[in-house]
Amino acid sequence: MGIYNKLIIFFVSVLISEITISRPISWSGGSTFMYKSNSMISSYYYHFSPSYKYSLGVEYINDRYFNNQYVSLKSTYLLGRSNTKFSQGNLYFTGGLSTKSSKEYYYGIHGDWETRRWFTSFSQLDKNTSTHDYTEREIQLGFAPYLGEYDELHSWIMLKTKKDTINDNWQTYPFLKFFKGDYLMEIGTKDSHWDFHYMIRF
Amino acid sequence: MYKLFLITIIIISIPSYGMDNHGNHNHSDHHHNHQHDSNAGVDGSLTQLDEKMYQQFISDINDGQVAIVDVNGMVCDFCARGIEKTFYRDEMVKKIRVSLESGKVLIAYSNSKKISFEEIAKIFLDNGQTAVGFELRKL
Repeated sequence: MGIYNKLIIFFVSVLISEITISRPISWSGGSTFMYKSNSMISSYYYHFSPSYKYSLGVEYINDRYFNNQYVSLKSTYLLGRSNTKFSQGNLYFTGGLSTKSSKEYYYGIHGDWETRRWFTSFSQLDKNTSTHDYTEREIQLGFAPYLGEYDELHSWIMLKTKKDTINDNWQTYPFLKFFKGDYLMEIGTKDSHWDFHYMIRF
Repeated sequence: MYKLFLITIIIISIPSYGMDNHGNHNHSDHHHNHQHDSNAGVDGSLTQLDEKMYQQFISDINDGQVAIVDVNGMVCDFCARGIEKTFYRDEMVKKIRVSLESGKVLIAYSNSKKISFEEIAKIFLDNGQTAVGFELRKL
């Protein structure tokens, strides 16, 4: 496989996975807008949740590296949720389809479990492009150094590790997550590049 | 490593498959316990209310009634944002206070509101949490 194809798959996988798994469903009637930027791409993603069980979204992607712009339609369905006094766990099925080609789509599962102090998540996505089919797996761990109350600033130290069946090696890198009110921001660095992710709910 | 983690998460998530049932289970289980009398405790699972927090909450409210709701799954501020937004759609809601630490939500209603635990539980379910009990106090 050429380096060109590997790069395409890598960038598409980074784009799809990181945005898809972050708070994929809002409250019933709620909307979420996300902006993501890294060294190669930027994207704008909006999703609406008609119900707490699923969301429908559309994403505009500007691939600056390959000078390619396209739109992707996405949906996430809540398979199950566990609420306890001190924790919440979620299991989702998610999928997306590029409007550019019906041969470009993905689907998979995403799960998370969190307390006010700890956060864990995993995802496994099967991705199909016009040139390759592959699987991507990801794990996130997070720790809140202090417990913020409602309406206060919340800060998380996060660690992400991911692997796909093409490169077949785990890539691990840290990032920071902050949220206050309806606004969330993630910032991290990987391979000397800054990744930025911004989200607002309304 | 990944498989081990995946198995762990799935095991943790197993009770979740009754998510809706879980919510409805509580919903029906507590139904017979509901009382709308002043200061009536309606659910044995209701944990101790921080009276200082309650007094602060009602300090600027002259009359009405306050529902003190015990909520499960309210561990993330960003995920709880919809609680205020959806409750405030009801014009009879005067004020809301969310406490992540105690897992409680205080909702001040006008006197004319007929408060129903079923309605409250439905709103929490729509926001991703589970209401497991409540107490109603008249001001």
